[in-house]
Amino acid sequence: MCDDASEKIVNIATPVMNKNDRFAAENRKLLGEKGIYTLNLISSPGAGKTTVLESMARFFGQRMAVIEGDVQTRRDAERIEKAGCQAWQIETGGACHLDAHAVKHALDHMDLSSEELELLAIENVGNLICPSGYDLGEDMRIGLLSVPEGDDKILKYPSLFSTINVLLINKMDLIPHLDFDVDITIKECRSLSPDVEVFTVSARTGEGMEEFCEFVESSFS
Amino acid sequence: MHELSLAHDMTRIIGNVLGRKVPLDRVNVTIGPLSGISPESLKFCFTEIAKMEGFGEPELVINLTEAKLICLECGTEYQARDFYQGCPECGSISRKILSGREFTVDSVEIDEGEN
Ligand SMILES: Nc1nc2c(ncn2[C@@H]2O[C@H](COP(=O)(O)OP(=O)(O)OP(=O)(O)O)[C@@H](O)[C@H]2O)c(=O)[nH]1
Ligand SMILES: [Mg+2]
Ligand SMILES: [Zn+2]
Repeated sequence: MCDDASEKIVNIATPVMNKNDRFAAENRKLLGEKGIYTLNLISSPGAGKTTVLESMARFFGQRMAVIEGDVQTRRDAERIEKAGCQAWQIETGGACHLDAHAVKHALDHMDLSSEELELLAIENVGNLICPSGYDLGEDMRIGLLSVPEGDDKILKYPSLFSTINVLLINKMDLIPHLDFDVDITIKECRSLSPDVEVFTVSARTGEGMEEFCEFVESSFS
Repeated sequence: MHELSLAHDMTRIIGNVLGRKVPLDRVNVTIGPLSGISPESLKFCFTEIAKMEGFGEPELVINLTEAKLICLECGTEYQARDFYQGCPECGSISRKILSGREFTVDSVEIDEGEN
């Protein structure tokens, strides 16, 4: 790339996320062509992503497929299959986030041909920091925060909560035991993502889940 | 953040553009303050990875930009170094992010001994 052999400065001018973003665009195109609407679910470990997806699996049935991202084990994919949906497990083997290339591989292996299929949910690796910089090709990014984690998390993890379309506040059944302030959480989240939609749910009791599922459904139908 | 994997991505990009592995003097990057990247952590990771990948021991020079935001209360466009700075006109923290997440490898300076 040196025009002049004696030139020691070489222009690179390349965004570091270029490769990921290219794969994300490919995923978005492929899924769009198949008429599949895609969600990227991000939260800290144990906030309830898989439990939310089990509840969604009961609502959507065969209309939904799931990609599970975990550092190790097929446990979450097995839980989703039991709940009635096709599931593909990505084991990142140490990586703290999914990237668009890993999702592309998963899509190559999954059966996306069913006429019924209209929703793909991707459960990211439990982590509030690293997944935020990686576009997977999703149509909707959902940040999930469970009330035992505390109501100070939004502003502590702005690089995630400034990129979400939907905030799902989970484990609302536990709120009587905690001092979690829902209103402050929503206000702080709106300061980072002005257009964010907020749902308060308990994936355990099912409270609020139908409203949330209907919202997701209305986003693609 | 995942500075280690970003450092790997950087050496991959540099290797692709140069078409070879040569010791470097400097690597110049631009980082937006809302990118979530820790400059210190990136420097640490990049130093290790660059050496491992055959690019010598370049200095990583980081150009940290300011984010551009627009206040949704009063419409003022302003610059900020983090997510917490409110509108300088009305104090509101309700705003839209116009830029500030960028992360690019701008240029590299090849160790002259190699030319
Ligand atoms: N009380 C209560 N517990 C919940 C709720 N949702 C999930 N849990 C529990 O929280 C724990 C973690 O839930 P998971 O769904 O496995 O969380 P996850 O986010 O998928 O976790 P990782 O995949 O490991 O990051 C389990 O014991 C769930 O039963 C809820 O709404 N209320
Ligand atoms: Mg899980
Ligand atoms: Zn203002």
